[in-house]
Amino acid sequence: MPLSTQSQADDEPYVLVASLDNARNLSNILKSITFKDHAIFSATPNGLKVTVEDSKCMQANAFIQADIFQEFTIKEDLVGFQVNLTVLLDCLNIFGGSTVQGVSTALRMCYRGYGYPLTLFLEEGGVVTVCKINTQEPEEPVDFDFCSNNVTNKVILLSESLKEAFSELDMTSEVLQITMSPSQPYFRLSTFGNSGNAHYDYPKDSEMMELFRCTTTQTNRYKMSLLKPSTKALALSCKVSVRTDSRGFLSLQYLVRNDDGQICFVEYYCCPDEEVEEE
Amino acid sequence: MNCLLEGNCVKAFGKAIHALSRIGDELWLDPMVKGLALRAVNSAHSAYACFLFSPLFFQQYSLGSVSEQGSGTVKCKLAMKSVLPLFRCLTSIERNVERCQITVGTPSDRVMIQFFCRHGIIKTHNLRFQESEALQAVFASHLCPNVLKAPARLLGDMVMHFPVCQEEITLSVTPERVSLRNYYEEGNDRKKTMCTEMSLHPDEFNYFQVGVESDITFCLKELRGLLSFAESHCLPVSVHFAAAGKPVCFSVEDMVLEASVVLATLMDSESRIPSQHTQPPAPTTPRRADAAVVPLGSCEADSRVPQGVVTMMELIPSSQGSPILNPPTQMLLESHFDDPNGPRSHDEACVSVASTPASSTICSLLFRAVSSEQDGVCVAQLPVLACYSDEEEDMEEDYPGSPSL
Repeated sequence: MPLSTQSQADDEPYVLVASLDNARNLSNILKSITFKDHAIFSATPNGLKVTVEDSKCMQANAFIQADIFQEFTIKEDLVGFQVNLTVLLDCLNIFGGSTVQGVSTALRMCYRGYGYPLTLFLEEGGVVTVCKINTQEPEEPVDFDFCSNNVTNKVILLSESLKEAFSELDMTSEVLQITMSPSQPYFRLSTFGNSGNAHYDYPKDSEMMELFRCTTTQTNRYKMSLLKPSTKALALSCKVSVRTDSRGFLSLQYLVRNDDGQICFVEYYCCPDEEVEEE
Repeated sequence: MNCLLEGNCVKAFGKAIHALSRIGDELWLDPMVKGLALRAVNSAHSAYACFLFSPLFFQQYSLGSVSEQGSGTVKCKLAMKSVLPLFRCLTSIERNVERCQITVGTPSDRVMIQFFCRHGIIKTHNLRFQESEALQAVFASHLCPNVLKAPARLLGDMVMHFPVCQEEITLSVTPERVSLRNYYEEGNDRKKTMCTEMSLHPDEFNYFQVGVESDITFCLKELRGLLSFAESHCLPVSVHFAAAGKPVCFSVEDMVLEASVVLATLMDSESRIPSQHTQPPAPTTPRRADAAVVPLGSCEADSRVPQGVVTMMELIPSSQGSPILNPPTQMLLESHFDDPNGPRSHDEACVSVASTPASSTICSLLFRAVSSEQDGVCVAQLPVLACYSDEEEDMEEDYPGSPSL
């Protein structure tokens, strides 16, 4: 393959080299978290994590494990930088994003370290493009301190049941209220808009409910504007886990299968709009 | 009122709401012993639609006890934009919704629409409503000299040939044929307009009665919803009408529901109509109501005055026992516009509807046309100001007949 042979000599200075035969396996998942311009990239020997935040109240993370890549070489324990995500996606789709079977863009992503641009070698049909994107000092992502021990309620739903609900959500409502309870209504999404209110109830024994573990009745409200971007990740995913902790913080974890059937994760954290005491 | 619909009926209900949404911005709900009526009217009062679902349509239908504070049933109206989104995607309703429950009034002051979907999922919508008098329309079908009954897809197939943006069309009937053509005004450059006309032989219709040869021009956009509904339910469409200026009623019915759309028609100069039809060899000479179009300034201005709007329609307070629009019986137009906000809001509505000079003229004239017997001052004195040009005949097209049959 042209890309790997041509850059043999340049391998040494790169602290991170990641290659994919199909760039869509990266670009699709990144598209689902593109609601802000810049993203923080953190690479470890386990793989790549891309973080996007909104007003310190909401955070989205995309995880692409090392074994998804055809080549993943990292010379340090942690390599971090910040780039403009929109620009990166434009480059990944530079050949037009064709969805013809058998035609894909190959990617080799290289980074020399602090102060250097992120270099992308993209190839499709024998045509090679080199893109260099300036990197910035990575900001420290907010630590939502969401740990499994603190989780009070957890459900796993098949995405197809939520996709319709999210696409129908009354956008005139400022908040999305999520109620999780060991008793009726079990799992409920509510909106309060100009026309009135709406409730979507998912019973615990529904075929769409893969896991239902709710210990206490909790009702929390989240700003609709913060949660609406998660619809993109929902659209890509096949399953979603919804967890709340004792503080009412929300964690949404989406299981995404890429073009080759491999599994990646996208995670959203959101802090509650206000504490609502259960009735 | 509390009712339960199941499966396919939910889709039919949704389709009715789609059809009503093409008429007006508000949906009137009128639960009665006869059934649940859904009605809409446009802001210019030139189009009215009513869908009546008999109790048999529902799996359960109850009006609520009369003992509750004296009135068991609440008549109300909802904003179309609150209701339409719930029924927007009919294919997904067909796939997912098993039952739908609708409750009006007590205990809460909301209309509750609850969808019981596959996999145990329940979607509940509580919509705010405004209490309102029932809305009914004046239309005496049994007095109409012209009655056509077309098989389900016939009219739908005919109107399909007109571009979606086509606002008005003209339906012409003679004892020999029925034709539909698009209506355009003098001002438009005729060379840029595509003219479409198609004709049908009376045999294409299940029932054909022409008492008075006439051409009526009405708004197509508001009719499309009903035609689509008729097609999806394979119901024949009945058309009751008279001469230009009198309203036309399109209706469908089956064992569990009745639906009708009443449209005002463009006022035409009375004298022209009989003379045209006495020229047998000439195919339809265009009977564009040129005269009606011309007095742009005066009539239009008049119709925007609130009083002008209000007096055009018969304002009779509704009484509970009044029968609703039922083609063979005569109904009264009843309206809640007695309240002080009514006329003002309609004035604004009339203004907002009149986005282009052409459509505003049509609006005001159609409006008058509905109650032409009341006020003919402006329109009846219109002289014929344009004569027919010969090149019109070159644009005639003769369609052999409906392809669907």
